[in-house]
Amino acid sequence: MDFNYSENCISIQDKVLSKLDQFTIDFTEKLEKFSKYVIVSGYISILFGRNRTSEDIDIIVEKQSFQNFKSFWNYIEKDYECINSNDPNEAYHNYLMEESALRFARKSSFIPNVEFKYPKTSLDEWTLVKRKKIVLNQYILYISPLELQIPFKLFLGSEKDIEDALHLYKIFQKYINHSLFEEFIRKLNTEELFNTYLK
Amino acid sequence: MSTPNIDLEELEKQKKQNFIERLHFIDMYVEWLKKTPNKEWSAQQKKIIDK
Repeated sequence: MDFNYSENCISIQDKVLSKLDQFTIDFTEKLEKFSKYVIVSGYISILFGRNRTSEDIDIIVEKQSFQNFKSFWNYIEKDYECINSNDPNEAYHNYLMEESALRFARKSSFIPNVEFKYPKTSLDEWTLVKRKKIVLNQYILYISPLELQIPFKLFLGSEKDIEDALHLYKIFQKYINHSLFEEFIRKLNTEELFNTYLK
Repeated sequence: MSTPNIDLEELEKQKKQNFIERLHFIDMYVEWLKKTPNKEWSAQQKKIIDK
């Protein structure tokens, strides 16, 4: 695996894109025209080579006005539909503003879908501010900083999450900011999991 | 035919062992990934994901 790593950007070229990559790129390219976003899900480990797929891509989106959300909805509705509601007013007020996620899938399909949510916690806000730019071939994506993503996967704690954490850690351990990484390991109370499975 | 007796302790042990083996496999896979060009590993990954 060849990549260029800097504090704010990881560039990876010549990746043969899977359908999941193409789905994620297409949706986020449209979303970025309207709002700042960050990908926080297991897709991050898949992007960097983990051999598994995922039903959904979790995305945290900066809070929008209803007008901005409606413009985004109108822009994507030719290609995508919201699984929860066909009414943008209901989707915005009854889901997003009530701290529930929306799911968007390509028209007439259910999987994969994007889990679209606004930040709920200070950790969500931090992730949005500190999002990391990924240059994937000629496309741009934004992901959660690995210094948080890996400890957070440990925090989630399922076998699949620990495997994702190990995969990312083994690839990026030479590159990440270790003092930040250790701070999140400590704050998320994942020292024991880290020592058991990642060290 | 009657169903077998189940030793839950034994199954738990086996589950844990399987998990440890998968983690070892990830270690080996990442080592392979690191020395394999993007075009090659991602073409293999695409076959699995696009199935």
